[in-house]
Amino acid sequence: MSGATTTPRSQGRPVSTTGRPGGGHRTRTRRRNHLQAAGLPWILPAVVLVIGLVYFSIGYTGFVSTLDWNGFILSSPEHVGGANFTKMFGDTVFWQALWHTAYFYVITFVVQTVLGFVFAALMHSRVRLGVVYKVIIFVPTVLAPATMAPVFRQIFDADGQFNWLLSHAGLDSLTRPWLADASTAMPVVMAITVWQWTGLTFILFYAAMSQIDPEILEAARIDGAGNVRTLRSIVWPMCGGTTAALAMLGLIGALKTFDVPYLVTKAGPNHGTEFLGTYIYQTMVQEKHFGYAAAISVALLVLAIGGGVLMSIRSRRTEGS
Amino acid sequence: MFEARTRTSRIGLQVLVTILALPFLAPLVAMVQGSLGGRGIGNYQKVFDTGVVGTYFRNSIIISVCVISLVYICTMLAAFGFAKLRIAGKEVWFWLLIAALTMPEAVLLTPLFVTASKFDMYNEFIAVILPLAALQVPFTVLLARNFFNGVPTELMDAGRVDGASIVQVFWRIVLPLTRPIAAAIVVLTLINSWNAYLLPMLMLNDPSKQVVTLLPSFFTSQYTNDQTGVLAAAVITAVPEIVAYLSLQKYFERGLAAGALK
Repeated sequence: MSGATTTPRSQGRPVSTTGRPGGGHRTRTRRRNHLQAAGLPWILPAVVLVIGLVYFSIGYTGFVSTLDWNGFILSSPEHVGGANFTKMFGDTVFWQALWHTAYFYVITFVVQTVLGFVFAALMHSRVRLGVVYKVIIFVPTVLAPATMAPVFRQIFDADGQFNWLLSHAGLDSLTRPWLADASTAMPVVMAITVWQWTGLTFILFYAAMSQIDPEILEAARIDGAGNVRTLRSIVWPMCGGTTAALAMLGLIGALKTFDVPYLVTKAGPNHGTEFLGTYIYQTMVQEKHFGYAAAISVALLVLAIGGGVLMSIRSRRTEGS
Repeated sequence: MFEARTRTSRIGLQVLVTILALPFLAPLVAMVQGSLGGRGIGNYQKVFDTGVVGTYFRNSIIISVCVISLVYICTMLAAFGFAKLRIAGKEVWFWLLIAALTMPEAVLLTPLFVTASKFDMYNEFIAVILPLAALQVPFTVLLARNFFNGVPTELMDAGRVDGASIVQVFWRIVLPLTRPIAAAIVVLTLINSWNAYLLPMLMLNDPSKQVVTLLPSFFTSQYTNDQTGVLAAAVITAVPEIVAYLSLQKYFERGLAAGALK
């Protein structure tokens, strides 16, 4: 992968050693060096952009997290050391937000994976009008959460379509203002997320299932395995790589959650759908506690980098194999 | 995958798919139906009467085109460098980029907010374009580098032996081979920049600078309690996305799938 490994590897190939009568080892090495141009200028734009913005921001956030500051350039900040972090560890809303992120992640991941997997299996089963179903399931992935937020606010309103549906199904006892209570607002936020991302899990599983050799399935059938048995014991294990990728993606997505709770439930009621992103935004923009917002950002950052490292290790392992 | 030999079981499967797919369609139906409530098509008229629809779309287009160009240029150059050229400390540079892969926008809020007010970059598109691009680039570089690794080095060497400069090799030989990954990168970046909400909301306060994702909330602030109008605004912003997806289905699906698997 690095420059050091490229040279011996290409030297080992017969292509580069043939057709060069009289060309000794020394000249070939020199030619190789000449052909391998310096790469630094090529990566510079990307490096400058990312380091200039992301790394600068990280450093700056780290600095601000030690301040008590209302964010106005003219007002002088007060250095408070680790006070913001002490406050954070004792802040129930912060822990609530973390807890929400955790169970939001687990539930949305499981539901999305199961739904996407089942859809993919069904689409591989000679269903009529497959394209239509595929488009219906995938369209939400393309739409902005900000676009759909007002729609979901309306659907789960006290006199919205969801309650209408329930009462027409004879389930009047279940009707309620879904967004007004924390215990039902969170499931709504999760349902919207599942609605949005199942299309992606479906497409990925669909692609993974196309790779499975039909003969393996045929063999299973001959051995007397039924539909469910084949799916569970053969197809599901063979899609393991996809499931692992989705688990990582879901984790990063859960940490990034902002648009849906902010727009649909305003992170409420009573912090009932608070996530780290919404809490940072509220602390900074509405309460003007820049130092404290930065401290929560640092916590989020640590979690995100942890996720990133896991992701890179995984990607490296798949590259190696 | 499911084997359905009999007619009944085939119908059963079809019914099952339909039942599972309906909840995915329902919100879209509710959106369109709600937007036609009350004054019917007049709701759309009211949204267009605010006079900002064209501006918002234009702004979204400007921002998306800039982000895509920036991401494309940075990604292609960097991926080529990382995959095929000699760089001292290559691994270190690469890890520096990849570590930023998972950065949530929220982490950037404080610094961007302060920097933008310090340098008077409020309401400037650049204050949204640069962070959006910076957050996208690590991902696309990883994606493209893996693709570039698969381009045979012999092909480049042949070009060099024939006397082409490295820039010519890149432009004439390598770049034309990277179209599939380029399409994935463009689509992925388009979706992320077009759908971006948090950064535009924070950075662009001037109504003449806002973007389509802010249209429903702008409408809410103008006409409180006009739910039908808000839904009409949502439909107006959703339609171009759906049309874009339907006409470029293959690229959207591949782009998002490629983005997910790396």
